[in-house]
Amino acid sequence: MTRKVNVIGVGMVPFAKPGESEEYNVMASKAGRAALEDAKVPFGEVQQAYAGYVFGDSTCGQRAVYEIGLTGIPVFNVNNNCSTGSSALMLAAQAVAGGLAECVLAVGFEQMEKGALSAKWTDRTNPLDKHANLMSEVQGFNQAPPAAQMFGGAGREYRWKHGTKRETFAKISAKARVHASRNPYALFKNVLSVEEVMASPEVFDPLTRYQCCPPTCGAAAAVLCSDDFAKKHGISNPVYIAGQAMTTDYPSSFEEKSMIKMVGYDMAKNAAQKVYEQTGIGPQDVQVVELHDCFTANELLTYEALGLCKEGEAEKFIWDGDNTYGGKFVTNPSGGLLSKGHPLGATGLAQCTELVWHLRGTAGERQVAGAKVALQHNLGLGGACVVTMYRRD
Amino acid sequence: MSKELRFDGKVAIVTGAGGGLGRSHALLLASRGAQVVVNDLGGSFTGEGKSSSAADKVVEEIKAAGGTAVANYDSVENGDAIVKTAVDAFGKVDILINNAGILRDVSFQKMSQADWDLIYKVHVFGSYKCTAAAWGLMRDQGYGRIVMTASAAGIYGNFGQANYSMAKLGIHGFAQTLALEGKKKNVLVNTIAPIAGSRMTETVLPQNLIDALKPEFVSPLVARLCHESSEETGGLFEVGGGFMGKLRWERSSGKTFRLGRPITPEGVDGAWKDITSFEKTEHPGSVTESMGPIMANLEAGPSKGGNQFIDVDAALGYKFPEQQSSYDERDLAIYALGVGAATDPGDDKDLQLVYEMHGKGMKALPTYGVIPAINVILKLGKEGHRAPGLEFGLDRVLHGEQYTELKRPLPRAAKLTHRGRVKDIFDKGKNALVVQEIVSYDEAGNELVRNEITTLVRGAGGWGGDRGPSADVNVPPDRAPDKVIEEQVPVHQALLYRLSGDWNPLHADPGMAKAFGFDKPILHGLCSFGYAGRHVLAGFAPEGNPDFMKSIRVRFAKTVLPGDTLVTEMWKESDQKIVFQTKVKERNEVVISNAAVEFWKEIPKPAAKPKAAAAGAAGAGAANAMPISTDIFNAMNGFVKANADVAEKVKTVFQFKLSGPDSVWTIDLGTPPGSVTPGAGTAPKCTLELSDADFMAMATGQADPMKLFSTGKLKISGDVMASQKLGFLKKITPDLVLAEMKKRVGSGGGAATAGGGGTEGGGVAPAGDMVPTTWDVFIAIRDHVERNPELVGKIGASYLFKVTNPDSAWVIDLKTGKGAVTEGHGAADCTLEISEADFIDMTTGKSDPMKLFTTGKLKISGNVMASQKLSFLQKMDPEQAKQAAIKARAAGGGPGKAGAAAAAGPTAKAPAFFAALSKRLGEKPELAKELGAIVLFKIVDPGSEWTVEGAAVSPADFGTAKTTLTLKDEDLAGLSAGDVHGLYTHGKLRVDGDVSVAHRLGLLKGLL
Repeated sequence: MTRKVNVIGVGMVPFAKPGESEEYNVMASKAGRAALEDAKVPFGEVQQAYAGYVFGDSTCGQRAVYEIGLTGIPVFNVNNNCSTGSSALMLAAQAVAGGLAECVLAVGFEQMEKGALSAKWTDRTNPLDKHANLMSEVQGFNQAPPAAQMFGGAGREYRWKHGTKRETFAKISAKARVHASRNPYALFKNVLSVEEVMASPEVFDPLTRYQCCPPTCGAAAAVLCSDDFAKKHGISNPVYIAGQAMTTDYPSSFEEKSMIKMVGYDMAKNAAQKVYEQTGIGPQDVQVVELHDCFTANELLTYEALGLCKEGEAEKFIWDGDNTYGGKFVTNPSGGLLSKGHPLGATGLAQCTELVWHLRGTAGERQVAGAKVALQHNLGLGGACVVTMYRRD
Repeated sequence: MSKELRFDGKVAIVTGAGGGLGRSHALLLASRGAQVVVNDLGGSFTGEGKSSSAADKVVEEIKAAGGTAVANYDSVENGDAIVKTAVDAFGKVDILINNAGILRDVSFQKMSQADWDLIYKVHVFGSYKCTAAAWGLMRDQGYGRIVMTASAAGIYGNFGQANYSMAKLGIHGFAQTLALEGKKKNVLVNTIAPIAGSRMTETVLPQNLIDALKPEFVSPLVARLCHESSEETGGLFEVGGGFMGKLRWERSSGKTFRLGRPITPEGVDGAWKDITSFEKTEHPGSVTESMGPIMANLEAGPSKGGNQFIDVDAALGYKFPEQQSSYDERDLAIYALGVGAATDPGDDKDLQLVYEMHGKGMKALPTYGVIPAINVILKLGKEGHRAPGLEFGLDRVLHGEQYTELKRPLPRAAKLTHRGRVKDIFDKGKNALVVQEIVSYDEAGNELVRNEITTLVRGAGGWGGDRGPSADVNVPPDRAPDKVIEEQVPVHQALLYRLSGDWNPLHADPGMAKAFGFDKPILHGLCSFGYAGRHVLAGFAPEGNPDFMKSIRVRFAKTVLPGDTLVTEMWKESDQKIVFQTKVKERNEVVISNAAVEFWKEIPKPAAKPKAAAAGAAGAGAANAMPISTDIFNAMNGFVKANADVAEKVKTVFQFKLSGPDSVWTIDLGTPPGSVTPGAGTAPKCTLELSDADFMAMATGQADPMKLFSTGKLKISGDVMASQKLGFLKKITPDLVLAEMKKRVGSGGGAATAGGGGTEGGGVAPAGDMVPTTWDVFIAIRDHVERNPELVGKIGASYLFKVTNPDSAWVIDLKTGKGAVTEGHGAADCTLEISEADFIDMTTGKSDPMKLFTTGKLKISGNVMASQKLSFLQKMDPEQAKQAAIKARAAGGGPGKAGAAAAAGPTAKAPAFFAALSKRLGEKPELAKELGAIVLFKIVDPGSEWTVEGAAVSPADFGTAKTTLTLKDEDLAGLSAGDVHGLYTHGKLRVDGDVSVAHRLGLLKGLL
């Protein structure tokens, strides 16, 4: 028996470039306090905290939470690459659902360095070596940032299969910029045309620089609680988690010699399928989606993995405008990783924050009208993919 | 989907086709157009009875489905009649499926001879009879497909089926030879080991399994093997229940006993693990391959002997793993004190040996040259690393003799690389002598010290082996010594000496010394060696300068105790040689005998500063020298040292493993400042393996690393990601490399460090600093042939060498006229295919042609016997070969690929490619429709633009194309080869616009 999990408070700090942000503990405690204030719950009521981050020594989570209060509660540090934030969220949700806690804080933060992601620990087996070796077998290996080669290679493979135009990928970035221009928390608020995206330097064909998410610093948090707790605190009709699933790599990631599969297509597809089965709600009933657009190629692949469109039809989906206001769905109203920024540990909770605002109808000028069901997709290579569905009755 | 495999016009015989597998085979072949003879005796599965109904039923089935078939009711023992039915009805036989079989399952205990004979008759004899009847027809028509039916019972054995197992594996052996004999006539023979539910297997398998093992799951493989497009022959396949797989033999790498020594059951027992372990295996596919190890053993020649202590074959020539060590002024001072120097601090010359700030500069005692080597041996011993075949305990070992030779005075500090080997093993009757050689190289890769450490192994001789040199060397002349120096060894001297690295407690611990039978701890032999060396220096070195010592050789005769007085008696044999012996005064015993020191006439200078005269010669050498990989790594080392920020940024250790010639280099950028050193140093994070030639091409910008990687020539293991950080290599400019090359050529150091292309043991490749190429070798052969016209009469054959990687072809004609050696293809009696690296190794005597042949690296076709006459290649004078190649190079020649062609610049492929496309589209305009788009080809390096519109190909961009394909000129070869997807996936073919156009580029195939 699992209990319903409500998201009663969310908060985040505006995302910033590396070197221009506050320190991780300051950002994280600000986001945590914002979420607690949003929930109108004092920190003393929080029984557990889950803190997600990728870069930093052990117990950064405690250091951040201590700035909110020293109540002696359990604090768990969570690290799962780019899906760290939603992994922390999932653990928090499990604690409530399983009846282990009434009120839990999930916080994610990241203080990143400039430049492309690279390995920090070079004296031991790289956790992505299986992925890297597969890639080098399929398409070779060059000087571009490894993640760009992986997702770019997946895009390349998709183009070969479906004859996709280069502009189709660029359109995703242009859309993201339009969305981000209405989001005060986003890193890149200036609008770019498809031509400008295409004209930026090529990182790895078909990806240009403006089709890659930037290293970012930031933090976001959410307060989760049980129905009993909500009732006791007079919170009515909160947003709740209708379904949630995490997947890790399947044999297909390595056996099919496919870049699309290697970057987690089947992880995403299976996680989404599980959520649809748990909730009995299919993609057709979703209005707003925050998905993991670390590169345009992955947003395109994720449309299909989540079932927002049929396999092979992402190009039509994009050109028909079904991924933005006025279309079938609004994907990444926040601007996504591409424009809002991608502080690894914070991203999953920032996605959650954005969706909660839309379900409450408080997303300001980027509000998706009539949002009742929201879908979140957060993916990390290595790998982990968390898909979460939120509802508000 | 591949095309449907049809059998129209083919005639097939399927024996035992009245049911089960045979019926399934027959139905499948008939449904695909074959005319089928359905043979079945109509007996029971145990071989009893006879009726025509089974075969007739299947024929009816085939006919009902619109196929063609006739029935035959003969026993397979009457194969002629079955084949006759086919010839009578359809005029020929193309396919024979020997499928008929029966079972007589019974435990061997109860098996009657009738059970045995009957199984043999139906399976083996029946398969023979049918095959024999069809064989001649198939050979005559130049076409035949035969499938034999074996069984897992034959391959693995099965309870109650001893007779059946015998028959089934017998059939496979039968098929193996038929495959060899039929291949030339296009008669292909394969064997299947099917598992299917049938009348026969009902008795041994449970029903639910039989249901899953439908005969229909087997027949498709049989059909594939029988199809005219099949090239498979001699195969053995397991098939059934949806699974199909091919079997082959696997053999353990085994154990080879050298011939000439008794091979005993005990020896076999001792090697049981080697014989039976499948850790390392091979897969022999023919008798020739099966014989490989035997041939290699014959090639290796008879054993050099040995006993339970020493296996000469295993030990002799063994190379120890390369070791590194370093020393500095502190080590030199501790050593000097350890061998009794500077007991008088007022002695200025002695002070120079221990005081690093001495006004005239610190000097090393030349006898220190033995210390790094001995420490390497001690270290290897401590790590349990000993040469194979040396099985004696340390209790039998005495340091017998020592020879230390310096190539120049020892520097005050050095980083050394040591290469050691077991140089000699002598059987002295009762005892044995083992000579280990350690050569120590300085950082520039030049030899600095050579040590020969002779160990006396007590009681280990007597196998009747080589006794070695017997003459007593360095015997003192029969006159009073020319000089005598006497010196008492202080009682604590062994305690001082051991600080240089020999920590054996025998020299410090009284208890331990007693245990070894001494009254007190004894002095190290090498300590008295140091004393004696000092005495000879003091007696005869010009101005007492230790730098004059070139070498020292001693024999250790007796033990010295601390406190003894050493008396060194010296005889001057010449200005350059002093013979000496050392006695202990107290006991009047000779402790060091047969000893001599050699002096330099002129002290050699460090290699980095060549003398003027040498520089002139070096200049001449440099003109025809080429950089080798060593130069590049040394240049890297210089660069890394000069740019500490490189290591700062990269923080990774790389290892390069080069092959042909083999070398290993470690690029240690783990901690600043980094270093690039020969050998396997710090454990690498990322290892790159490639051939020396490819490394050179990559480092000089002639080969693209990505291309090497994607074609499998560059292998990266470990952290593939880390290889990205090698970008700094681009900063190693040609100037840096050339400077290193000049240093090397100037110093005469040769390619010692990386084992470059010198000549070993008489061969044809040019010696010295030139890196020989195939071209050089053939020029040398040409020269040789011109000098020796009698070869034509002697050999009377012509040879075509197809050398690969890089590719070239040469014809050696020793048949017509005066003989000729020419580049390019041509007709020849005998064709030899070999890679350039192997070819060079073969002609320089590094690889044995027989071994290359048995390992498949050298392929010989045509008149194989003629290849044996090529041994004259080994008889060429290396010096003459070198001169010939240098002369030819000076005359403007050079290796085609690397020299002339590179200088002229590669020819663009695009004009020829698009001219061919234009021609093709002119002839077949329908191909343009297939493409269905206006396509612009943007070619780069060198650049050109081509628009393909309909059947028109124009060298221009009209702006009309909706789809643009961008690629390098050299990659047009890939397009021509049909590898569009590969080029695209690797980012070498860029498609703007409609990617689907790339799927329709079949029309470009074969344009180049």
